Amino acid sequence: MIPALFWAFLSVVSRNNFIKKTGKCIAGLQRICYTDFHRINAGNAALWGKNMSQPVIIKSNKYGLHLILDQSMPFDQLLDAVAGKFRESDKFFKDAKVAVSFEGRNLTQQEETMLIDTITGNTSLEILCVIDNDPKQEDYMKKQIELYQMSIQSPYMESGTHFYRGTLRSGQAIESETGIVVVGDVNPGASVSANGSIVILGTVKGNVYAGLGGDESAFVVALDMDPIQIRIGDILAKSPDKPLRRRRRRRSTKESASPVPQIAFAKDGMICIEPLSKELLNDI
Amino acid sequence: MSEVIVITSGKGGVGKTTTTANVGTGLAQMGKKVVLIDTDIGLRNLDVVMGLENRIVYTLVDVVEGNCRIKQALIKDKKYPELYLLPTAQTRDKSAVSPDQMQALIDELRKDFDYILLDCPAGIEQGFKNAIAGADRALIVTTPEVSAIRDADRIIGLLEANETKQLDLIVNRIRMDMVKKGDMMTVEDVREILAINLIGAVPDDEHVVISTNQGEPLVGTDCLAGQAYQNICRRVLGEDVPFLNMEIKAGVFSKLKNLFKKS
Repeated sequence: MIPALFWAFLSVVSRNNFIKKTGKCIAGLQRICYTDFHRINAGNAALWGKNMSQPVIIKSNKYGLHLILDQSMPFDQLLDAVAGKFRESDKFFKDAKVAVSFEGRNLTQQEETMLIDTITGNTSLEILCVIDNDPKQEDYMKKQIELYQMSIQSPYMESGTHFYRGTLRSGQAIESETGIVVVGDVNPGASVSANGSIVILGTVKGNVYAGLGGDESAFVVALDMDPIQIRIGDILAKSPDKPLRRRRRRRSTKESASPVPQIAFAKDGMICIEPLSKELLNDI
Repeated sequence: MSEVIVITSGKGGVGKTTTTANVGTGLAQMGKKVVLIDTDIGLRNLDVVMGLENRIVYTLVDVVEGNCRIKQALIKDKKYPELYLLPTAQTRDKSAVSPDQMQALIDELRKDFDYILLDCPAGIEQGFKNAIAGADRALIVTTPEVSAIRDADRIIGLLEANETKQLDLIVNRIRMDMVKKGDMMTVEDVREILAINLIGAVPDDEHVVISTNQGEPLVGTDCLAGQAYQNICRRVLGEDVPFLNMEIKAGVFSKLKNLFKKS
């Protein structure tokens, strides 16, 4: 959503307007307008470093932020400057998701991590990726952000579904913006939550939350369904207080080695758990 | 006037959680408004022993972090409408809460409840510090074993340093048959070593295991442990109750056997 905001700024609002609006927050932008960016990028960054009065300049392009760093300043001071600058503009960035690139200084892996920590520590920005400084960078950033945007626009896309292999034990939790497939059991005290649907190839005895964002078309499928709590969309159901069902079930699983897979779905404000059948799947 | 009681032991597995569940339920049976707080973040059990695991939506950590109001996290007991549980998070660890935050939370709960019972985790680290932060008094649970007593002694020292006003001792899992043979310390021995007021002695009873597994506290039932817990509750309320004779259980057969042994 917020990258889209960046996009809108740059494409719809005229450039002058953009600079005026952001001028308060991002110092440095007043001095370098957007069209300069490519030139600087292609030219010698070091030259800029020498002439800069500011230790750090934050620039934005379509898909994220570009930081031009002072070359000569000690790294500690530079970190402080970066922290200060981002703190000032925190409100503007809000919780945007961006790609970041650095310029003007050769950074070691450690320095780069420290810089990123400083940025995320002082703002609610989420950094999706760091781009090396080369001509292809904008293309790459574009791809990353577009991929992300696609995934938030259609969160239940099967292609985005996460796989988890192994047993989830008490205290372990997995969460996904899309769907989740667990190959293993979910023990009591463990939880699986997803914006989309959940498939568990094993026994569910913990908590499962499907359709976290409120989507009641999400469903949960499990080989053996016995959750402590199950939530689909905004509907919550808990296991019965008397463990009668469990006892019966245990006996039945002993008799037949493979339990019938079950599906839980929301219907008329309630959660129904039924044996999985072709007809049912077609309805959903 | 509300009272905040921490149930602690130092050593694990001596029956802190069982004691919390039973004393809490017992106090509620006597018409008090009680809240049980599980402070064992990451290894919660009190909800299971109370049989309320399936009702947990928000936890203590959510309250402290401001994700919900206290009222939203409190779970009402199945049987007693005046009994509440504040469960803790399983997916976090002890560092999620600080003693100051616990203190603030307890002060908030004091307004609504007569008794606030804190189930303390084993150990003396952060979790223990969180649990004792706001406590007025402590019930120290121990078993008649040297290791448990050693740990209880250390805990008493720490509680005294924390200026907890009142310390009472519960000796749990006593096996009269072993005591008689001289294989186990007597309640009196334990009390002498630890030198604090004894508030209860609970026999080792298989009913405890059954009740724990079913998620229904046994306080008030007619088994020995149920009686013992009820007596503890009455003593907590300030009544003077004589200690149980734990030998009632010996049946006619074993009495006969004893007779033969003597002769």
